[in-house]
Formats: sequence, structure tokens, C-alpha cells
Amino acid sequence: MTNKSDITPPEASRPRETAQRNRLRTALRALLTMIALAACALRPAATNAQMPSPMNPPRLVNDFAKLMSATDAQALEDSLVRFDRRTSTQVTVITVSDLDGYDIAEYAQEIGEKWGVGRKGKDNGVVILVKPKTADGRGRAFIGTGYGVEGALPDVTCTRIVNEVMIPHFKDGDYSGGITAGAVAVMKAVDGEFESEDEDSTGPVIALFMVVIFFGLVAFIIMASDGKGGGNGNGHVTRSSGAEWLMAGSLLSSGKSSGGGWSGGSFGGFGGFGGGSFGGGGGGGSW
Amino acid sequence: MKSVKSIALAALAAASLSSCGYNTMVEKQEAVDAQWAQVENVYQRRADLIPNLVATVKGYASHESETLTAVVEARTKATSVNVDASSLNQEQLENFQKAQGELSSALGRLLAIQEAYPDLKANENFRDLSAQLEGTENRIATERKKFNDTARDYNTFIKMFPNNLMAGIFSFESKPYFKADEGSDKAPKVEF
Repeated sequence: MTNKSDITPPEASRPRETAQRNRLRTALRALLTMIALAACALRPAATNAQMPSPMNPPRLVNDFAKLMSATDAQALEDSLVRFDRRTSTQVTVITVSDLDGYDIAEYAQEIGEKWGVGRKGKDNGVVILVKPKTADGRGRAFIGTGYGVEGALPDVTCTRIVNEVMIPHFKDGDYSGGITAGAVAVMKAVDGEFESEDEDSTGPVIALFMVVIFFGLVAFIIMASDGKGGGNGNGHVTRSSGAEWLMAGSLLSSGKSSGGGWSGGSFGGFGGFGGGSFGGGGGGGSW
Repeated sequence: MKSVKSIALAALAAASLSSCGYNTMVEKQEAVDAQWAQVENVYQRRADLIPNLVATVKGYASHESETLTAVVEARTKATSVNVDASSLNQEQLENFQKAQGELSSALGRLLAIQEAYPDLKANENFRDLSAQLEGTENRIATERKKFNDTARDYNTFIKMFPNNLMAGIFSFESKPYFKADEGSDKAPKVEF
């Protein structure tokens, strides 16, 4: 310790300003680095800026280009929501008036990935993307498939649905009819591939069971030890444990029935996108 | 006393290893390797489509043998370039990309000849194969983009302070990126 302090004085005798300037320079450099890093972090967000965000509350029919009549859009929305409930497969319709310079396949992949269409892990989302024909541009339609539905909806099937089912309607200016027919064909192709998302509703019920059983056990142990401590003999223990089991049983059954009520569809609309991922699969056409 | 010191040192090392992002580095590196496997997957998918496509075209345009041979040769060359994900570097990736790019342009020329053969263009099998090929090119573009994103995420992480010190000690190398192609590797467009 004394040795060190003996060495330091010559160092400290140097002009103080240099040390200060050095410190200032380091601080400035650190600040600049932080600004640069922050700028890098912001960049990827900026490139996706033009793509629309999901509607709020989320819907499966996102008619940004206003191609469908309100009644047709609602009817399609209802049947897509029902399909999502029954099969956990999310088929979403998106119409845009401009592709912002993207290739339509790329647009469908990016928006599907960004919105997270389909369930996480299953990746069972489908994006039906329509860009209407305008005075200066071709109409384009594309069915983009999540990783999980590539088997049920090969690119060839997507191309066929677009070219043979949807585009004939579009050529007559019937966007509502074409989009609905395309969505129906997609649902038909994917039906049976996935089962309904049961684990979503059973998850909380199972958790409730566990909690009930845990507390039941704790109560049982306490009561049993109480009985032993009282030294009242076997009769007391069996009686209290019997009562405990009865209580636990009623709790269990009430938990079950409330779980059933919860999953019975107290909400009416679409529950939201689930984090599915897209690998660029699908097919489309133009007119 | 000595054992207490070494235990403390080990605890400190463990704490700093996990807090200075060693585990995160491993995770991110694994993500890059997994994404590379996806990239190889989709390129393989394209290679698998080619024999069928060549056979179909041959039936209608047998005297385009030069174009057909070019595709077959480019395919052989492209599939022979194997890259190990864990030792992926810029040079290997460039070789891989070059070989696959040559196959892309050979395929583009093959698809272009359909204009001269209306029967081929109308053939259902050919149309299906074209749709599959186009879908595969879209997948290639997607997986390449995802690879670049994953690699950028990893590279940024290992270059940040204080991770860069840890990355230096445990030799975490930065990963290369796919470069944008000058038109040669663009998806061959098929318009019906």
C-alpha cells in the first residue's frame, strides 16, 4: 500500500488538464457509440414501416383496400373465425391498394410473419393477399402459406386456387365473390390437417386442478397431524380426512365446471394472431 | 483459505460468464447454424425439382440439349458445394452463392425457352413444376433473408461491449452475410 502511494506522485504531477481532456474524450466516445448503437437498433423497424398493422381489435378479414361489401366481409369473417376455433388454423384475408414496391409473394410472407398469422409452433397460418387491378397496374393475388400448412396447401394448389377460383371473379370485378370463394377453397384444403387448440382452454383448468390438489394435500396433512397430536385415536383422523376429501372433491368438480364455462366461448370475435411463421411458400397469379 | 479463494473465483467466473452473455452468444450462434440448415434445405428442395423439370422439358424440346445440359451441370456443381455451418466464413458463403447463382441463371434460361414451345407451356405437368420452382425461389429468398437477420443479430451481439471481450476469449467468429445478387439469382419469373 505504501509502495503504491510512493509511485503515484510523479504521475499526479503531470498537468491535470490532459487527464481531464482524456476523460472527456472517453465519455464523448462512449456517448457516440451509444448513439450509433441506438441508431442501428432503430433501423430494422423503419424498413417495415409501410406495411399495415393488424386491425384493432384483430380481425381475420382485413379489407384495407375496401374491395368487399360490409355484409360479405362480416359473413367471411364469421366463417373464418369459426374455422379458426374448430381447427386452430388461421386463414386471414388482406387487401391492399399498393404493394409498396414489394413482390407480392414477399409481401405476403413478410406480413404473415410480422402479424404472426397461425399458432406458434404449428405455424398454421394462411395469408390471402389481394391487390386490385388499377388503371396503371395489374391486379395481383397470392396465397401465402405458413411452414405448417405447406403440406396441405402446396404451391401448386395455391396457384390453382388463385388462377382458377379467384381470378375469374376478379376479372368480372366481383372482389367479394372471388375472395370468399378463394377462402372457402383454402379452408377445404386445410381442413382436417390440424385439431382445435384444446390445450389453450385445458391449460388453466389443469393448473386449477394442481392448485386444488396441492391445497387439499396440505390441508389433509395438517388435519391428520392435528388428529395425531390430539391423541384422540383413529376415529378422528378418518373422519376429518373423509371430510377433507369431500371438500377437495367438491372443489375439483367446481373447478371443472367453471373451466368448462370459461372455454365455452364467452367471447364472440377473433381472439388474435398467434405468432406463426412463414417461409415464403404459396402461389399466386395476376390479371 | 486458498480453497475459499478458488471457489469465490469460480463463482465469479460463472456469474460473469452468464451475465456477460456467454450463454446468449451460444444461443445466438445456434440460431445462425439452424437458419443455415434451413437455407440448405430450400436449396436442396430446388435441386430435387430439377430432374423432373428437365425430363418434362426434354419431352417437348429435345433439341434444346445445350440449355438442358447447362442446367444439369450447374445442378451437379451447386450440390457439390457443401458448407459446414459451424465453420461458415465469407469465402465459403461466396462460393456457395456463386454456384447456386449459376444454377439460377441456367434455370432462368431453361424457363425462357417455353415461349418457343406452346405445347410445353400448356403442359400441365410443366405448369405445376414451374409453380413449384417459383415457390422454391420465394422460399430461398425468404430463408436467405432470415439467415442474414439471424447472423446480423449474432454479429451485433458479439461485437457489443462487453460481449466482444468474451467473444474474443472464446473465439466466437462473426458470420458472413448473403450479398444481394445483380439480377442473376433473382427468382425466375413465370407469368401465365
